This record gives sequence, C-alpha cells and structure tokens, in this order.
Amino acid sequence: MSSVVQSDTKGSPSAFLKAIVGKSVVVKLNSGLLYTGILQCLDGYMNLVITDVRESSGIAGSPITSTYGEAFIRGNNVLYISAAEAL
Amino acid sequence: MASQILPLELIDKCIGSRIWVIMKNEREFVGTLQGFDDFVNMVLDDVTEYDISPDGTQKKSKLRQTLLNGNNVCMLLPGGEGPESVQ
Repeated sequence: MSSVVQSDTKGSPSAFLKAIVGKSVVVKLNSGLLYTGILQCLDGYMNLVITDVRESSGIAGSPITSTYGEAFIRGNNVLYISAAEAL
Repeated sequence: MASQILPLELIDKCIGSRIWVIMKNEREFVGTLQGFDDFVNMVLDDVTEYDISPDGTQKKSKLRQTLLNGNNVCMLLPGGEGPESVQ
C-alpha cells in the first residue's frame, strides 16, 4: 500500500473539520493566545470564523481577557483546533 | 533489496496508536493518532499538551479531539509517552 491517507477518510483532517462546524471549539494560536467559541465556518487554509468568542492568554486557568461577538482568524496563525465538547 | 518504506507510510502505520509530537518551538503533544494529510496536519484524540518554559517546567493541559496544524511540527515519535517518560 503506497498511497497516503485519502482526503476524506474517517479520522482525516478534512473529515474532522466537517464534523466540528457548528460545535464549540478551542482554538490556540502560535502566539499562545486561546480562543473559545462556536465555529461557524472554515476552509482548507484553516481560516475560520467563530462567534461568542472568549479570549485568554492560554495559561491553564487564566482569566478571559476579551470577548467578541464574532471573529475571523487567519489560518496561518492557528496552532490547533480542538473540540470543546464530545463529537 | 530490502523493501523501502516512505516516511508518511510510517505515520500511516501509527494510526490508532499513541504518538508523541514535538514542535519546532517549546511545545509537545501526546495523543492517539486518528488521521493526517500530506501537510502532516494531524487529528489526535485524548491529547495532552505540554508547554515547556525556559526554566524546564512543564505546563500540561488536556484536550479532546484536536486538529494539530502541521506547519510547526518537527518530529513524531510513534508510541511515545511524552516528555514525562524521559525525565
């Protein structure tokens, strides 16, 4: 078997992205900033739009530093996107 | 000639098992590999994130199913138990 993972195999990045749209997510940026909110939409660059955004410094238990109604995050800054609730 | 194995084939063999991901910066992740793509973006489950500060202390946090951006990945250790296993 020489082929790598197919684009939409179960468990693949693209399948995960499809599964978490509309769910509550935790997004960490390369700077360490942590954003939680509802994932509205995203694309293959990991550009994303989240609503009901809470921003914190990313250190465990750190307080919320800002809230935004809606935010666009450019994909190049994203370290990870994590499901905040069970999928 | 001994049969060759491609780098991404090795990662493909790790799907379903624990993997230790070491990033370019002072961050490491341990989780169950569920899938990956050609950029080595990875979907991990039951993730522990380690943030290692300059004085050597580790900050640990737990994550659910997570899509880790492959952009800053440096090394993957199949079956790795994380930084705690080597100290």
